[in-house]
Amino acid sequence: MTAHPAPSSISGRFKAHFDLNNQEFSLAGSVRPQTIDELAPSLGLLKESIESVRGVLYINVRRLAQMNNTAFHAFSRVIIDACRVRPDLRFVVITSSVVGWTTRKFGRLSKIEPGITVEEYDSEFYPGQSFLEEGGFIPILRTQTKMTWRHERSILPRHGMRPGIVMADICCGIGDFAVLVQKEFEPSRIVALDHSKSSLAYARNVASEFDITGIEYTYGDASEMLLDDDQFDLVTCRHSLQIFNRPAQILKELFRICKPGGRVYITNEKNSHCLGEPRGESIRWTYNEVAKLFEHFDMDVELGPKSRRYLADAGFDDIRVEQFMVTNLDGDPKDFADMIAAWEDVYAGDMAVKRGDSSEFIKQFRQGFKDHISAALHPKGYAGWPIWAASGQKPL
Amino acid sequence: MPTKDANAEPSFRTMIQVDMEIVSFLSNWAHCDYISSYLARTISHNRPDSVLFSNLFSSALNELLEVTFRTRHSGGALECRLSRLGETDRIELTFACSREEHTFLEDAIARVQGADRQARYLSSLSGDVAPSRDMMLLELTVNYNATLRLEEVDADTVTIVVDLPLGGLAN
Ligand SMILES: C[S@@+](CC[C@H](N)C(=O)[O-])C[C@H]1O[C@@H](n2cnc3c(N)ncnc32)[C@H](O)[C@@H]1O
Repeated sequence: MTAHPAPSSISGRFKAHFDLNNQEFSLAGSVRPQTIDELAPSLGLLKESIESVRGVLYINVRRLAQMNNTAFHAFSRVIIDACRVRPDLRFVVITSSVVGWTTRKFGRLSKIEPGITVEEYDSEFYPGQSFLEEGGFIPILRTQTKMTWRHERSILPRHGMRPGIVMADICCGIGDFAVLVQKEFEPSRIVALDHSKSSLAYARNVASEFDITGIEYTYGDASEMLLDDDQFDLVTCRHSLQIFNRPAQILKELFRICKPGGRVYITNEKNSHCLGEPRGESIRWTYNEVAKLFEHFDMDVELGPKSRRYLADAGFDDIRVEQFMVTNLDGDPKDFADMIAAWEDVYAGDMAVKRGDSSEFIKQFRQGFKDHISAALHPKGYAGWPIWAASGQKPL
Repeated sequence: MPTKDANAEPSFRTMIQVDMEIVSFLSNWAHCDYISSYLARTISHNRPDSVLFSNLFSSALNELLEVTFRTRHSGGALECRLSRLGETDRIELTFACSREEHTFLEDAIARVQGADRQARYLSSLSGDVAPSRDMMLLELTVNYNATLRLEEVDADTVTIVVDLPLGGLAN
């Protein structure tokens, strides 16, 4: 592996990198040179890359935010020339749907040389995407946010929330949290980012229907966001680190966009600690199985108590962790019951089936959810869902 | 599509204007990048996808500023005004230039609106020479669906007016 830093006049703004194992040349950042001389090291690296691969060279521009025509032309020339002298070689340009111009602009190259193709990278980002991103989860998210908000509205000020701040909610889902925050705390700016187009469409619709302005719903990938460094006083990311197979990578991005002195606030669960009475045993068994089920799909819904470690490892200071329990006694017990019914649908209905579980297992698995619902609706029953809220400060 | 005099279109609302001495603009290439990034971010907040908009707008504005940077100037000021009407954002760059440059810009802008612009863009991409100012303007029409025109402010001052229909975009 080789990496060439860019020359000093445009240094730090972009990186060129070649990975021989994956036969991949990547460009990231913003490339706006005055003359192509400034690009000499990166163009040289591209030429070396071409010489050292067989069959195909991937050109990864997923994180290339900006490139002026001077640079585009220079890199294109090298690729076009290589197509002419190396007909054995194919070039696959990997773009991202998040960056507006790359697919179209690089796409033109395939009209010049058929050996160049462009693929927009927009496939699975995290293991549970198909379960959680499809429309079915939307009503659960609404109910969940309504229930957690009763707690979080008093918790948030201890984690850096205050009027007038600039904030981002990453993995915002359908945007309810952003709306609640805006009403209660009046930040001066909210960017709400998610990778689900249907959730964003839903969020924008709600906003326009209720005449809510000032929330910037943005499409993006939390693991590589187009947002600039050091921008936000508070970055929130709720119930989401736990669904990524590499939470540390997301946390690194949250850290990057947070201002020095600002805070990153995360909430996560520990599903095996969901509880209820009566029928505590059956409930406990099922939620232990929920944790294992998510683990099977590479998600860690036991992450809650590990928040402190994750934040510390990501470089945060002044880490604060607190835990709260959403219960059937907060507001309408029916809401709690609806949420569990929705969990049962997705976990027992889709995920267990996908894992290939036996019908016997699924029957017992479902029973725990049903018992949890009964506990929630029982006149003397108690049902709980524990959540860990944690935040850390980005060092000044 | 707006083609008339700016005065006849009161409905374009000015959002921000930056004026600077052309000499100080020319003192550092990075000004193109700073100005385009800053202005794009500033006017992006109320677009459906602010980050997507700002990314695209910054690309387009940067090319225009680079074209301006490469134009031979005769002193004076550079005025950069951004205004909006619905989903269209208008960039107006006003500066003094020689008669010769004026004619060049006029011709270039006429050429880039031609029906053959796609083909011309592709052939300029596969050509050997570094991209010319023509090609940069051409790219705005081909990749951003921009509409361009040149206005004469007075004998030696021109305004490049570019309309970008990026406002409705969202993922
Ligand atoms: C469990 S939901 C939580 C949503 C919201 N924060 C809430 O509490 O209701 C996880 C969210 O992460 C989003 N997501 C998944 N992968 C993402 C990615 N790579 N970038 C951004 N968002 C992503 C999903 O679309 C989904 O809306």
